[in-house]
Amino acid sequence: MTVEIIRLMLIDGLMAAIAAIGFAVISNPPRNAIFVSAILAALGHALRLFLIKSGLDISLATFVAATCIGLLSILFARIIHCPAEVFSFPSLLPMIPGLFAYRTILGLIKFMQSTDSIKAQGFMLDFFHNGLTTLFILMALVVGVSLPILFFPKLSFSVTRKY
Amino acid sequence: MDENLVNNEPTIEETAVLLIDIASALMSSGAHTMRIIQNVSRMAETFGYEMDLSVFQMSIIMTIIRKEDSGKLLTQIRKIKNLHLNFTIVSDLSALSWDTYDRHLPFNEVASIYQQIISKKRMNSWLVLFLVAAANASFCGLFKGDFMAMLFVFFATFAGFFVKQEMMKKHINHLVVFTTSAFVASLLAGLGYVFQVGHTPEIALACSVLYLIPGVPLINSILDILEGHVLIGIARLVNATSLIVCIAIGLFTSMLILGLEKL
Repeated sequence: MTVEIIRLMLIDGLMAAIAAIGFAVISNPPRNAIFVSAILAALGHALRLFLIKSGLDISLATFVAATCIGLLSILFARIIHCPAEVFSFPSLLPMIPGLFAYRTILGLIKFMQSTDSIKAQGFMLDFFHNGLTTLFILMALVVGVSLPILFFPKLSFSVTRKY
Repeated sequence: MDENLVNNEPTIEETAVLLIDIASALMSSGAHTMRIIQNVSRMAETFGYEMDLSVFQMSIIMTIIRKEDSGKLLTQIRKIKNLHLNFTIVSDLSALSWDTYDRHLPFNEVASIYQQIISKKRMNSWLVLFLVAAANASFCGLFKGDFMAMLFVFFATFAGFFVKQEMMKKHINHLVVFTTSAFVASLLAGLGYVFQVGHTPEIALACSVLYLIPGVPLINSILDILEGHVLIGIARLVNATSLIVCIAIGLFTSMLILGLEKL
């Protein structure tokens, strides 16, 4: 069981790293920041998987993972002299609840087109369930990653200082 | 002789133009409001001015006041260019502001470094295209999509992002760009659904448009709201939400065309 979880976490982390690299280059970051965001994304996503497997709710697990990414990013920011958000934002992107968002839209479309009112109730339920999950995960991501910036404003605004 | 001329000190107009240029470059590269204010006021302080700044979605208003002579002040408004994320600029300008502050760099040097920073070339667009496609494919893998689904997502993203890059070069309205790009990508991924390739065509369809999600503006907007810049935060949020609605419209259109809404 534990070996299986570790294997899953490794695969998860690897794919999250590739995803983070790709989403990072859209915003044209400095070269060394790309690698940092890959590392952070892998750690964050693997941590989230572990928390979910051990029975935590997905939005809470996302919050914990995002906070860890935020804290680590300030640490890395001091090392490579580059603002924390440059690599913490891309490393969050693999956790964006895309599938839930898609199911929300699908539920809405089905609800709109359905003529049977009992089925329509089920679609409405889908819509709210998936929509709220999407919203809460998004909030958890953003609040989690910005907490360290809000707690240590001096530190996070002076990382590019060299002297 | 006037001491200003001897030291070749910049006039208040020159200083104001440089500072507001920097603020507007930071804004259109995707920095959050607090960082813009911190960076620019740090530089203003080094040049001997106090600065007040208001950031709106379309423009920036800035007043600088000479510290030694509060009668000398200048207010400026500058239009903000369209958002084109560029974190190298954010990072470099942030470093430049600290360099200016700590080493008291002369005005001319700061101006020339600023020019160098904003004229740096972006990463090769074909490389970006490939990396984004690979990223979205592995994103599909994260959602438990099988190999065929990942393959479909790769090509769908490749086509969709290519369309986006080309349309962006022609300066077409970005809402139109996002809708079209989402439509192209989901149409290609939807083909996998129509022919039932692999076991998870549904996931391929859902993931094909996710490279378009405006993650950075979303995070920036919440960060701005949390730090008290509510107005600009809401403006960013509305912008990001309208982009997401456009993605949904593109996805919805191709699902209707392929007849997938009944599934």
